[in-house]
Amino acid sequence: MTRRFVTTKVEIEGREETKVVELPTRNPTPWDDDADLHVVGQRVPRMDALEKVTGDARYTADLQLAGMLHVALLRAPIARGRVTTLDLSAALAMPGVRGGLTIDDIPDIKVDGVRLLDRTIHYANQPVAAICADSLEIAVRALRAIAMTVDAEPHVVTAERALAADAPRVRSSGNTPRTSPRIISRGDVDAGLRDADVTITREYHTPTALHTALEPHGAVAEWSGGQLTVWESTQGIFNTRRDVAKAFALPLSSVRVIKNYMGGGFGAKNGASHATYVAVALAKKLGRPVRCILDREGEQTDAGNRSATTQRVTIGAKRDGTLTAITLDATISLGIGGWLAGPARIYHELYRCANVRSSETFVYMNTGAMASFRAPGSVEGAFGLECAMDALARELDLDPLELRRRNYAEHDQDKGRPYSNKQLDECYRLGAARFGWTRARDSHRDVSASRVRRGVGMASLVWGAGGGPPAYATVRINRDGTIEVLTGAQDLGTGARTVFAQIAAEVLGAKIGDVRTVLGDTERLPFASNSWGSITTASVGPAVRVAAEEARDSLFEAAAGMLGTEPEDLESRDGEIHAKSNDACMLIRDVCERLGEVMIIGQGSRGPNPDKTAIAAFGAQFAEVEVDTETGRVRVMRIVSAHDSGRIINPTLAESQLEGGIIQGLGYALFEERVLDERLGLPLNPTMHDYKIPTIGDVPRIDAFFVDAPDAVANHTGAKGLAEPPIIGTAPAIANAVANALGVDVSEIPLTPGRVLALGRRQT
Amino acid sequence: MRLIVNGASHDVSPFDHETLLTTLRERLQLTGTKLVCGRGECGACTVLLDGISVYSCLTLTAACESRTITTIEGLSDNGELHPVQAAFIEHDALQCGFCTPGQILAAVALLRDNNNPTEDDVRRGMSGNLCRCGAYPKIVRAVLAAAGQTPND
Repeated sequence: MTRRFVTTKVEIEGREETKVVELPTRNPTPWDDDADLHVVGQRVPRMDALEKVTGDARYTADLQLAGMLHVALLRAPIARGRVTTLDLSAALAMPGVRGGLTIDDIPDIKVDGVRLLDRTIHYANQPVAAICADSLEIAVRALRAIAMTVDAEPHVVTAERALAADAPRVRSSGNTPRTSPRIISRGDVDAGLRDADVTITREYHTPTALHTALEPHGAVAEWSGGQLTVWESTQGIFNTRRDVAKAFALPLSSVRVIKNYMGGGFGAKNGASHATYVAVALAKKLGRPVRCILDREGEQTDAGNRSATTQRVTIGAKRDGTLTAITLDATISLGIGGWLAGPARIYHELYRCANVRSSETFVYMNTGAMASFRAPGSVEGAFGLECAMDALARELDLDPLELRRRNYAEHDQDKGRPYSNKQLDECYRLGAARFGWTRARDSHRDVSASRVRRGVGMASLVWGAGGGPPAYATVRINRDGTIEVLTGAQDLGTGARTVFAQIAAEVLGAKIGDVRTVLGDTERLPFASNSWGSITTASVGPAVRVAAEEARDSLFEAAAGMLGTEPEDLESRDGEIHAKSNDACMLIRDVCERLGEVMIIGQGSRGPNPDKTAIAAFGAQFAEVEVDTETGRVRVMRIVSAHDSGRIINPTLAESQLEGGIIQGLGYALFEERVLDERLGLPLNPTMHDYKIPTIGDVPRIDAFFVDAPDAVANHTGAKGLAEPPIIGTAPAIANAVANALGVDVSEIPLTPGRVLALGRRQT
Repeated sequence: MRLIVNGASHDVSPFDHETLLTTLRERLQLTGTKLVCGRGECGACTVLLDGISVYSCLTLTAACESRTITTIEGLSDNGELHPVQAAFIEHDALQCGFCTPGQILAAVALLRDNNNPTEDDVRRGMSGNLCRCGAYPKIVRAVLAAAGQTPND
């Protein structure tokens, strides 16, 4: 068979990449609105729930290997400077200590641009040495025996300081990346602003937020001969394998990365981390398996964060609300490294506007590096844009929802492409109806004199979530009729295992209980990309469907002989194959039993995305809050969240994801903020007590749902991504509700009591 | 010293300062109990001590001599799930699953003290157990369902 390799565009975390794709062996008819589906779309219980409720699920830190050693990391006590002495000898002499690691023991490995265990200190808590011992406790105690002296040099931990002419150089190349500022422009904003009847300018501030996954970054490494196995809490087994192989100059086939269960990622676990490299290096040096798991302080200070931003926004509009120009000047705090996830994208895409110009200045400083965090960039951008839209609505005395509807973007304006499908208007309609938007706004119209005030707000969202190639899957049918779906994707707690099993069961007409999904092992499974960017279902799902179709064709060919008919005459459902012409039927299990040791195997891959088409998820989110003007406490009373994410394979799991995203967005709006001591450059709240994530008591009534919108153009399963969208609009919806309650603009989150009291003072 | 964990007796020699969490995970290989913050801030290490929920990271093993300890591994009865475990599955009250053992044990303790809790009781009773995936709405439903109530909406 001749294969054809073509290229296609795939959007991941707001960035469009060109990928080579091998055309799949078949291109199934898309499951459109009329598709007759029986397992896809059902509320199948989460397939790994049993292991999780019994404690049987083994996470990376739960692994116990014979002879395994434990690691503690020595971290820098200052934000910038040099390690002048580093003497491990007293620590290494302690009973139970098996070895140590410094920069002299390892190859040149860079993490976020900083050399691993560097003696030049670039940020507080940077790892500078590691101790390996029989137990974690011994390793931690031994850290105190290390003799380290440092010379501090002037540091910068704010973007404002880092951009000053006399600021110390954070990186040798300067305090901004070469490509900064990044300017994106369409139309003529000056002309657009001249045409405007009304112009507003506002400045918004968003905080540095921490992922705070309950399971920290960590790895267990074991060498056997020249083969290395790494168990890792990762969103990307193949990325991790690539990173480790490169760092230690190994062929890919010598590195096996395994991830079975993981305790949350949220974007911060997309490849090898400090912990991975240290575990691998120590395991090699000491010839024993090594476990390196970050402690909580390490996780909160040196494992990624969402960039703080300052966004200066100007919007011009006609008296009827028609937008004439949008400009954004943004400063984004990267920390010591990271990639350029700016807030601008959503300004260019969410509303129809001919003239848009954004400038994003990315800033390096002496703090831990940023990492993707659930819808990176667009969460920050949506806060600025959607608060500014509300400010404009107030200026025009227009209903904020009406203002958004009047500026509905029918197509992707930057690239001049149509959307594969866009049901944002339906999200507005159903969301507003279920929230009771008009009635709620009217009832809160007067800013009352009472101490506790109520307000409502909303925001909308767009997020590129079409997924794409490459992704591969294998479907195997065993002789007892049970089915295995094999693919090198990851389930972060999203439900990917269950979703893939449902797709395979649908195609094969199998009972869902007979299907098992195997994920997370580079040695045994075909490639699938990182589970990031809300792409897993839309990327891997179609590959599973193709693999299952190939397996079904073989199964039907075998069954046709047994049933005295042709394969085209067969259909299957609920574990039974049925001939349409003569009503003969047979259980899948019995067909397989008669085949004996024949193993039916189907291979599938993900095909290219449609040409010149934008694929995105959309949503509209509504919030009602109570603001106590005396204490400054904001209580979110309810959230209604309406989403277009294409076909929903499993509504229960999808709704769980929506609720989770909304709750993280609520934390971002009200509580979450990394605090640094500017003078010392040290993090002040690296604990779960002081860095506040929402508790069960903070959660409002949430009505999160999907509009019925299978997207047959996007891919042949009709599914789009849904994990990131619900966090995008939550914070601006809440902030707009607080602004509505108090009758003043909100310009900064989190809305802690102190900030809310300050807003209240502005109002009186 | 003697520890009684999930009905089985264990002879262990912990350090004086050793936490119950370390003993369970590292000596008895009961890794269902999770280490997340190690300082009583998140509840992931919750176990039952004589039926009362405690943070095992703040409990010294030395103080548990001859007391009854239940971990997530000991909650089901001969393969039959505890009603709270069954309700967590039925209501999808978990995502990544890392906080789940602690959540379930906190719920068991809550229902032991109050077999007919209101939604507010559940929110108060479970507020010492953090979940970053945000399974909270479904945790509330699962706990109420395990108490035999039909959750609202």
